[in-house]
Amino acid sequence: MTKEQRLQKRYSAEKRFKWYGIISICMALLFVALLVTKVLSEGTSAFVKSTIEIKLNFDQTALNLPEKPTTEDLNAIDFYSFAIDQILKTYPTSNRDEEKELIKLFTTDFEFEVKDFFLANTNLLNQTVSFKITASSDLDQLHKGNYAKNISEDRRKISNYQLKIYDHFIQNNKITKVFNVYFFTNGDSRNPEIAGIGGAMLGSFFSILVCLIISFPIALLAAVYLEEFAPKNKFTDFIEININNLAAVPSIVFGLLGLGILLNVFELPRSTSLVGGITLALMTLPRIIIPCRASLKAVPPSIREAALAVGASKVQSVIHHVVPLAMPGTLSGTIIGLAQALGETAPLLLIGMVAFVVQVPANPLDPSASLPIQVYLWSESAERGFVEKTSATIMILLGFLIIMNSIAVYARQKFEKKWI
Amino acid sequence: MDTKIKIKSTNLNVFYGEKQALFDINLDINQNEVTALIGPSGCGKSTFIRCINRMNDVIDICKIQGEIEMDGKNIYAPNTDVVSLREKVGMVFQKPNPFPKSIYDNVCYGPKIHGIAETKDDLDQIVENSLKKAALWNEVKDRLQEPGTSLSGGQQQRLCIARAISVNPEVILMDEPCSALDPIATAKIEELIDELKTTFTIIIVTHSMSQAVRVSQKTGFFHLGKLIEVGTTEKIFKNPTNNMTQDYITGRFG
Ligand SMILES: Nc1ncnc2c1ncn2[C@@H]1O[C@H](COP(=O)(O)OP(=O)(O)O)[C@@H](O)[C@H]1O
Ligand SMILES: [Mg+2]
Repeated sequence: MTKEQRLQKRYSAEKRFKWYGIISICMALLFVALLVTKVLSEGTSAFVKSTIEIKLNFDQTALNLPEKPTTEDLNAIDFYSFAIDQILKTYPTSNRDEEKELIKLFTTDFEFEVKDFFLANTNLLNQTVSFKITASSDLDQLHKGNYAKNISEDRRKISNYQLKIYDHFIQNNKITKVFNVYFFTNGDSRNPEIAGIGGAMLGSFFSILVCLIISFPIALLAAVYLEEFAPKNKFTDFIEININNLAAVPSIVFGLLGLGILLNVFELPRSTSLVGGITLALMTLPRIIIPCRASLKAVPPSIREAALAVGASKVQSVIHHVVPLAMPGTLSGTIIGLAQALGETAPLLLIGMVAFVVQVPANPLDPSASLPIQVYLWSESAERGFVEKTSATIMILLGFLIIMNSIAVYARQKFEKKWI
Repeated sequence: MDTKIKIKSTNLNVFYGEKQALFDINLDINQNEVTALIGPSGCGKSTFIRCINRMNDVIDICKIQGEIEMDGKNIYAPNTDVVSLREKVGMVFQKPNPFPKSIYDNVCYGPKIHGIAETKDDLDQIVENSLKKAALWNEVKDRLQEPGTSLSGGQQQRLCIARAISVNPEVILMDEPCSALDPIATAKIEELIDELKTTFTIIIVTHSMSQAVRVSQKTGFFHLGKLIEVGTTEKIFKNPTNNMTQDYITGRFG
């Protein structure tokens, strides 16, 4: 081979290599794009819901109220019958079955929507107002175009009669889409139209909080001890290896640990974010210790010497100088560890956080779900209405993860000290 | 002049693990004098001065035999408190190492942890005096809250000197304090050292013969972990008894 040929070969090899790189990056980007488009196209519709506008006539006699109603009278109103009466006026029905089909187009919670609205606006007594009642999930899905209309009736969730009512509503401009507040405030529900991730978000928040409170101080202290105080011997090496091993242990194993120890031995309450948080903390600990140690190591020894030389004790030099200087790194490591914990599902499944929880948890001792668990639960569900909710929950979860990771990057860049 | 011995090292042997770095060092340091330590790289100068404020304690593998007495008391005696020793023996390092904090915080850190200042005013006073003694006050008095790391190399080194004298030490150790500095900054520090010796006892490690001549009264020459020759600076440089010293100061090796 001549010199020219070798040169030619080297050049083409470099070119080939560059192309391999570009192709791999494109593949990676393609997968990300696929994921994002799928989630976005399926999920965005969950942030709006269909409502049906109806006339509410808060007639004193219809509500069975005396001349001067007291609070007790107001609370005693039978809103169920009242709301049914009002709903039946929206479309002429001829028998009980048709009435039932009409009512089924509205959310099962219509009674409470009317009640809450009236009790908040008692001045509307004896007036007629129009009010938007949340539509049932089936009507919502139909309206959003997720149901095929041209298949035989028995394979449809919406009957021919209901379709007729729907067309009637559409012609009269009764159906509008509004922002779906329920999605953010409500707990889980069997009815997709009133199911929300409020409970799951709070559950996630509480577990991450518990996880942070437990894992950050322990991890920081462990890292400081190992990095600054531990004698360099076999035993320290052994601990170091095991921390690295622990960080690589599959998360479900920590779930088993939580199940076996927290629930069975200490008998802490099942399905709560307290237990979830402790389990996540076990998992997160080694994952925080490692970046904490790295950032302590990155503090130049000259700073420690400077402090010792003016007569600071070892502890003072560490607390006054080394740890504060390592803070950007420890904080970003912690946030990234917490972000991983936020997305963790398997360990929570094992400690029972997979239960169906309607109540929005008020504190870490209440049973609750978490965001990834909610995704898991809804993705299992057969109802069409939960499909968009699953994707929307993934969007929210990804949003939180992106925010946390950005804060981590920002914290590191902003507060990092530059040494000379 | 009546000279008092401030520090006396007797049969000092230092080991890093298996390797011996210093062999039987016997050296007296006079009070209110500048003692220069010279010698080729790796001969143990830094090791020696780091023994005086027990900075070598930090290194796990470092073992020390023999005695160093300060004011007649062995600083390696078991009941010695390292923190109060380091309060008395300050140190300035080869590379300026200010804390990445404000100029003010750099100087007030020592007095704060030792509880030297009672009030904020006392502290301000200490900071001002220390910076004045370090000949830095005029340059930084209007920007005490700026980070110490924003100063030039020479200023940073003087800041480190100010930090060292802020706790009123008796001895200041300087390990090649000018090796990272330009000639003008070096000249300033040398001038400063000359002034400081009225208050402090100074031990300076230097690679520059001329610097040793300019600032010191006594010079010790180290080679391969041994103290080859020690005497007044004048004698060492004009009239060394040892051939190796002669060769080193005339630049034939090193
Ligand atoms: N931390 C250490 N660990 C092991 N050996 C060291 C350490 N510090 C210095 N030494 C060794 O001790 C000897 C003296 O070093 P040093 O005191 O730094 O010399 P000098 O300051 O005169 O250049 C050198 O051979 C060096 O390799
Ligand atoms: Mg040295």
